[in-house]
Amino acid sequence: MIAEDSVLLREGLARLLTEHGIEVTGTAGTADKLLVLVDGDEPDVVIVDIRLPPTHTDEGMRAAVEIRAEHPGVGVLVLSQYVEVGLAMQLLGDSADGAGYLLKDRVANVNDFIDAVHRVANGGSAIDASIVSALIAKQRHRDPIDRLTPREREVLELMAQGRSNQGIADEFVITLRAVEKYVSNIFSKLDMPSTGSDSKRVLAVLLYLRG
Amino acid sequence: MAAPAWTDTAPSASAVVLIAIFGALAGIVMVAMAMTNPELHQPGMRAMLACWITIPYIAAGVVAWKQKPASKLGLLMVIAGFATFPNFLVWSANDLLFTIGTATQLLPPVLFLHVFLSFPSGRLGSRLDRGVVWAAYGAAALAVPAILLGLGAPRNVLALAAAPSWADFLQSLQLLVLSGLMLLGIGLLIRTRRRNGPPLRVSMTLLVDAFSLGLLMVAALLMAGWLEWSAFLDPLRHTTFSVVGLAPIVFLIGLLQAHLGRAWVGELLVSPDTEPGPVELQEAVARALRDPSARLAYWLPEVGSYSDVDGRLVEAHPGVGRSETPIMRRGVPVAMLHYSADLEDEPALVGAVAAAAGMVIHNAALQVELRSRLEELRGSRARIVEAEDRERRRLERNLHDGAQQRLVALALELSTLGELVSSDEVLRTRVDAASSEVAASLAELRDLARGIHPAGVSDHGLAVALESLATRASVPVRIVGVTDERLPEHVELAAYFLVCEGLANIARHAGATSAVIELKREGSNLLVDVTDDGVGGANRAGGTGIRGLADRVETLGGHLQVWSPPGEGTRLSAMIPCV
Repeated sequence: MIAEDSVLLREGLARLLTEHGIEVTGTAGTADKLLVLVDGDEPDVVIVDIRLPPTHTDEGMRAAVEIRAEHPGVGVLVLSQYVEVGLAMQLLGDSADGAGYLLKDRVANVNDFIDAVHRVANGGSAIDASIVSALIAKQRHRDPIDRLTPREREVLELMAQGRSNQGIADEFVITLRAVEKYVSNIFSKLDMPSTGSDSKRVLAVLLYLRG
Repeated sequence: MAAPAWTDTAPSASAVVLIAIFGALAGIVMVAMAMTNPELHQPGMRAMLACWITIPYIAAGVVAWKQKPASKLGLLMVIAGFATFPNFLVWSANDLLFTIGTATQLLPPVLFLHVFLSFPSGRLGSRLDRGVVWAAYGAAALAVPAILLGLGAPRNVLALAAAPSWADFLQSLQLLVLSGLMLLGIGLLIRTRRRNGPPLRVSMTLLVDAFSLGLLMVAALLMAGWLEWSAFLDPLRHTTFSVVGLAPIVFLIGLLQAHLGRAWVGELLVSPDTEPGPVELQEAVARALRDPSARLAYWLPEVGSYSDVDGRLVEAHPGVGRSETPIMRRGVPVAMLHYSADLEDEPALVGAVAAAAGMVIHNAALQVELRSRLEELRGSRARIVEAEDRERRRLERNLHDGAQQRLVALALELSTLGELVSSDEVLRTRVDAASSEVAASLAELRDLARGIHPAGVSDHGLAVALESLATRASVPVRIVGVTDERLPEHVELAAYFLVCEGLANIARHAGATSAVIELKREGSNLLVDVTDDGVGGANRAGGTGIRGLADRVETLGGHLQVWSPPGEGTRLSAMIPCV
């Protein structure tokens, strides 16, 4: 289900998703219409533009937070021209399950975008790379982030974006076992418990990086 | 309006002497009757109270009549005072006089009601006022049939029949109706006060309170008479008389204050060398009028409008419950005097105050003109900043809704195209190159739009926007005291720009290792501090950035301080009013 006020983009997105085997069950130009649609027929995932009519400020964000509260089974992927750390944390609240927040430009990177839609639909998360890299950059000179090896830092970034171990292995063309080794190294260097699902570790890492 | 009323004549000296003689005579007769009546309980006290509710009305009436012949109130009070005497004839040993006294027993309360409701003009203002007063006179007139039916037997010499039960019934009816009308009278007093807005002069408030209390006591006394509570009757009568007699005394005090007011007018003129400033003049005028709500509105010929003492533009006409009088200087109107409509019955006082103010207003008028220009300047600075913000916001919105959306759609289209031509290596490379170009354009456009207007602040508030700033900052930044509360947009923008500038300075020259952003609410103000631990030595005059920020903050009525001793870091501190 898609909520986007630009017709051009709404149609483009719908076509892209359909071409990649994702059924689009509804489209909306306003947050109110989206909420009605979701109440009527829960989709696996909604894709919401953060700026929607009438004020084009935070209507989409408020709708996203509401859907996450009212329909825990529905994944919510928020798209925005800007990404703000504070907004990502607002969207996640106390869980990163089924939540995504991406820069709008990312739709052009089709494979990654479709992968993110699938992840969020299946209860995982997708956090924009620019948020994660800004947070890591902010902490880069601080112990213990600067004790991570470059490759470990890259793995940490992908982890915080919501990628699974398999996804990280595919990205770097390395084995799953190697990724698991990096992950456990990272958690022990950061002195964090390495438990839980992919999205649990997203929230843990983001909270850690946010300081 | 007041001019024709001036032709109403004041009582001549001989009329005043006559009134005094008759009043004194009536009083002496009344006291004599009371003291020689063997049946009267506490004759001294009764005689004194009888004087208390008659003489002050006559005296206050004469003073009011002389001072304000335009108002019929003085005459009405004199008549009410005299018309109260006959009811005391019940103390007489003569049966005819006793009968007359009995017949006029209930006249005084009606007279008091009439006086109270016709304050201050001496005329009954509304149809309702007139209805209540005439109904009360009608009820009092029921005494005539009651007398004819034998009320007050056996001393009643005018009885035509002896029907005591009918006479008693009529009297009960009188008491009941009159007490109801008294309560209605209180309602009318309250209504008038409400309609005229809050009472503006203390003496006026006291007077209306005295009237209301008087009517209430009279109503209670009449009810006690109807219920035949003989035990309460005497103390209640004493209290009621005391209260009713108080009203003309309070009225007299008010009249006396009018004289004092004229003394204050004199004070305005005492030292012509030092003309008062706008505020002092307004205070002096308010004192002279005994009206704390009195305001001066200065005429600004260049603007073509009126201004208050602080230089802010105001309406020429003061609104409901308020009156206005022009203040002239050398025949030219320079200001408007706005005052409570209660003062309309004192045109002489208002005229004197306006005339006195006109003689010393020059200096104050010049100061107000200067203040209005400063106010105008501040207003136009604020409007410029506001217009610029609005325009920037519009630009950003247009970029977002137009170019950015289209570029994203284009990027989407290109990537779909890229998939379609994936078999053709050359085409694929070119499409990918085009995609990268579009992605780069989007990134540039995003930075441009963000530079034009920080949409994050307007859309999501300071908390979100400041966290992003802190995340991108060159040194670790701690944020203290930010809440999700939304403030007016211009306040949030000013705070945001302040933090931006502070962090940018830190990145450029502070040599700092950390910074703290602190927000605090103090009353209706927002305090924003950006502190770093760098080399210090920055100053407000230095950067155009800081100068621009100070402009913005001052435009909002706030101020900006830069504290930056060499070697001790830098602190930017702004106070921004949240209105």
